[in-house]
Amino acid sequence: MTRSSLLRDSLIAIAVFAVLALLPFIVPGKGFTDFMVRLAAFGIFATSLNLLVGYAGMESFGHGLFFGLGCYSFGLIMQTFPVSIPVAFLATVGLSIVVGTVVGAICVRLNEIYFAFVTLAFQMLLHSLIIAWTPITGGDQGLTGGIPRPPFLGIRLDDYYHLYLFSTGLLVASLLAMYHIVQSPFGYTLRMIRDNAARAPFLGINVFRVRLMAYVIAGAFGAIGGMIMSLFVSGAFPDFAYWTISGEAIFMIMLGGITVFLGPMVGAVMLLLLNDFVTKMTTHYGLVLGLVILLFALGLRKGLMDFAADLWRDRQTPTSGPRPDTAAKTAASAPARAGE
Amino acid sequence: MLKIEGLSKSFGGVAATNDVSLHFPKGSLTAVIGPNGAGKTTFFNLITGAFKPDRGRILLDGDDIAGLSPPEIVRRGIGRAFQIARIFPTLTVRQAVLGAVHAHRNQHRILAKRFPMPGSGDRAEQVIALAGLTAKADTLSRNLSHGDQKLLDIALALVLEPHVLLLDEPTAGMGPEERWAMIDTVHRMWEQERMTLIFIEHDMSIVFKIAQSVRVLSYGRVLAEGTPDEIRRHPEVIKAYLGDEFEASHA
Amino acid sequence: MDLSALASCLITPSCVITQTTSGLIIGLLLFLVAAGVSLIFGVLKVVNFAHGAFYMLGAYFAYTAYQLSGNYLIAVLAGGIGVALFGLVFERLLISRVYGSPVLMQLLVCYGAILILDDLVKIIWGADFLSFGMPSAFQQLPFVFAGGVVPVFYLFLIVVALAIAGLLGLLISKTRYGKIVRAAAVNPSMVSALGINTGVVYASVFVLGGFLAGLAGGLAAPVRSLTAGMGTSIIIESFIVTVIGGMGSVAGALVGSILIGLVRSFGTIGFPLFTEGLMFVLMAVVLVLKPSGLFGKGGA
Repeated sequence: MTRSSLLRDSLIAIAVFAVLALLPFIVPGKGFTDFMVRLAAFGIFATSLNLLVGYAGMESFGHGLFFGLGCYSFGLIMQTFPVSIPVAFLATVGLSIVVGTVVGAICVRLNEIYFAFVTLAFQMLLHSLIIAWTPITGGDQGLTGGIPRPPFLGIRLDDYYHLYLFSTGLLVASLLAMYHIVQSPFGYTLRMIRDNAARAPFLGINVFRVRLMAYVIAGAFGAIGGMIMSLFVSGAFPDFAYWTISGEAIFMIMLGGITVFLGPMVGAVMLLLLNDFVTKMTTHYGLVLGLVILLFALGLRKGLMDFAADLWRDRQTPTSGPRPDTAAKTAASAPARAGE
Repeated sequence: MLKIEGLSKSFGGVAATNDVSLHFPKGSLTAVIGPNGAGKTTFFNLITGAFKPDRGRILLDGDDIAGLSPPEIVRRGIGRAFQIARIFPTLTVRQAVLGAVHAHRNQHRILAKRFPMPGSGDRAEQVIALAGLTAKADTLSRNLSHGDQKLLDIALALVLEPHVLLLDEPTAGMGPEERWAMIDTVHRMWEQERMTLIFIEHDMSIVFKIAQSVRVLSYGRVLAEGTPDEIRRHPEVIKAYLGDEFEASHA
Repeated sequence: MDLSALASCLITPSCVITQTTSGLIIGLLLFLVAAGVSLIFGVLKVVNFAHGAFYMLGAYFAYTAYQLSGNYLIAVLAGGIGVALFGLVFERLLISRVYGSPVLMQLLVCYGAILILDDLVKIIWGADFLSFGMPSAFQQLPFVFAGGVVPVFYLFLIVVALAIAGLLGLLISKTRYGKIVRAAAVNPSMVSALGINTGVVYASVFVLGGFLAGLAGGLAAPVRSLTAGMGTSIIIESFIVTVIGGMGSVAGALVGSILIGLVRSFGTIGFPLFTEGLMFVLMAVVLVLKPSGLFGKGGA
C-alpha cells in the first residue's frame, strides 16, 4: 500500500510543528501568535465538527456545547482546585466524554432534522445554566478573575510564546489524531454509515453504537478547542456556549469544505481573517458577516477545498481511470451526500 | 438449516405474512415466488430482523432468532442482498468489501490502526473475484453499472460467510443476457460457498432452471411448495399465479 | 431548587391562577411561532431557523405602528401583515434556493439572515431595550379570581391567541386551502400533477407562518422588552415544542407550547435556577419515551 502510514504522518506533523515553532521569529508581534492561538482553538473545534458532518453524515447544530463545556470546565477546575494544567485538561476531556455519552445516547438515534434540533437544544441548555448559575459561572459577566497557570514540565503558559507553542502543539497533535481516526477501520465504518445507514446493520454494524462513539470523540476534541480558548481569554464567556459558536463552526467547515480533511482548517483561517478584518472596518459585524454567509451559501454552495478536490479529480480521471491512490483519496473526500 | 414456524406480521390490520411455516434444508437452493404483493419481501424482512414478527418462530440451526436486531441476526449467519442494490456510493468496490470484512471480523470499531487491517485484503479479493468484480475493484460504487451494483450488494453479503443467503430479485431490472450472467454467478457462489440460498424471482424460466425447490406465497400465505415440476403442475399455482402471468405476458 | 415553595403555590388558589395565566400566555405566544415553524417544515421540508427573527420583526413593526397611530389593533396587524410580506420576500429571495439542500445549508442561510436582521434592528431601532408600554384600553383594574390577580391584557391575549389557534385549525382541517397544504406535505408531486402550482403553495405557507410570527410579536410587545436577538430563545423553544408535539402537527404544537408555558411559569417557583433546564428535561423525556413526539406519526 502506498498510502500514508502513522509514522509518515507523525513525521509530517513534527515537521509542521517545528516550522510553526519558528514562525514567531519570522513574523514577530503578538498579533500573529494571538491569531494562531485562536486558530488552534477554532481549527480543532471545526475539524472535530467535520468528523460528524463530513465523515459520519451527522449534521449537529449544537457542537458548541462541547466548546463551551471545555471552556467553563477547564476554567472552573483551575480556579477552584490546586491542580496542574494537565490534570484539569484530562478532567475536562473526561467530563466531555461523560456529557457526550449522555447527550449522544438521546440524540444519535434521531433523524437528520431532529438531530440538528436536539443537539442545538442541549447546547442552549448549557448556555442557560451558565447564565442562571451566577455564583459559580459568573452569569452573563462570564468567568472572570483570570485562570491560574502554574508551570508544568517547564511550560509557563503566562508567557505568550509558551502559550503559542502549547496551542499549536495541541492543534497539530489533535489534527494528527483525528486524521488517524478518519483513516482507521472506524473511520471507514463512519463513511459506510454516512453513505447508507440502512445497509450497515445488515453487515453486522451496530449503527447506534458507532454513531455514539463518533459523537463522543468529536465532543472530546471540541472540548480541547474550548480549553485553548479559555487559556487565550483567561476566563470563559457565555458566548462560547451560545448557538452562534456552532453557527460559526458550521460556516467554517462549509467555507473550507467538508470533503477534505483539512477543509475545516482552511475555513477557520478564512473566517478568522474575515472576522478580524470586518471588526476593524465596521461596527456592523453581523450585517457584513451575514451578507458574506448568504453570498457564499447561495452563490458557491461548496467549500474551497471541495472545489480543489473536484478539480483535481477531473484532471485525474479521464486519462487513466481512478488509480488506487486516487480512488482512496476521492472516497476519503467524498461529499456527505454524494450519490443517491 | 432454516425453519420457519407460524410466522405472522400485519400492518394496520392487513396481514402481510400470515401463519407461514416453511423449511429450508441445509445447502439447498430455493426460489420463493408469488404475485406482486404476496409478501415475499416482507418475509425476508422478518427473517433478517428488519421487521419484528407479531407471532411465530424463526429457527436457525435450532435457535429461535425471531425478534433479534439485524446486526445480531447477521452475526448468526444470515446474509441478505436487496431488490434495489444498497451500496455505499462514495466508496470503491474494494473499500466497501473491505469495510464489510472488518464488520464481519468485528474490527470495524478499531480506532488506533489504519484501514485496512492486515489479513483483510485476501478475503476481500477472494469475494470480489467470486462476484466477478476484480476488474472494477477500484471503481467508485456509484459509477458501477446497475448489474455490477447488484453484484456488489451480493458480494457484501457474501463477505459475512453466511450459512443462509437471501437474495431479493437478483435479476430485477436487467436485460435477458445480463440476467443469465447474474444467475450463473449466483449459482457458482452457491456451489463454492456451500450455503443455503433462498432467492425471490419473477422470471419463471430462471426459477425452473436453477431452483432445487420452490415455495409459492400468495396474500401472505404459503400456497404451495415442491420441486419445480410439481409447482408447474400445481392447479392452485397455475390459477393464482402462472395463469395471471401467462395471460399478462400474452395480452 | 425550592420544592416547598412549589408545593405551597400548588395548594394556594391565587398562586395557581396567577402562574397558570402567565404560563398560558407564554405558551400561546410560543404556539403562534411554533405552529409556523412546524407548518413550514411539514410542507416545505425547510427548517426556518430565522422564524424567531420574524417574531422580533413583528414586535418592532408593531412598535413603530403604535408610535405612529397610537392604536394597538393597528399595531398588531402591522406586525402580522408586515412580517407576512417580509416572509414572502424572504422565501422567494433566500429559502426557495435551498429547497432540498442539506439541513446544514438551510441552517447556514438562516444563520446569515439572523445576523443581518439583528444588526438591522440595532441600526434602525437602536441597541437599547425598547418598551412598548401598556395600551390605554387595557389600563384597567385587573380581574381577581380566587385571590389570583389577572390583568385585563392577559385575558385579552389568551382569548385572542386561542381564537387564532382555532381559526388556524379550521383553515388547515376544513378548507380547500388546508386540504391542498396537507396534501402538499405528504406528496408534492401529486399536488403539482393535479395542476396546482406548488411554488405558490410553498410561498403561501411561508407567508402564513410569517403572519402568525408577526402577530405573536405584536401581541407580545406590551409584555416583553424589545431587543435585537429577542427571537433566539423563542426559536429554540419552538424547536423543543415541535420535538415534544411532533413535527408538522398543529395540535401537537398547541399542546407542546402550553406544556412548555406551564413548565416555565411553575418552574420559576420550584426551580428558579433551572427553569430553562426543565424544558430540556421535558424534551429529553418525550424523546426517550416517544421519539416521534406526542402527536407525531412514524419514527423520528
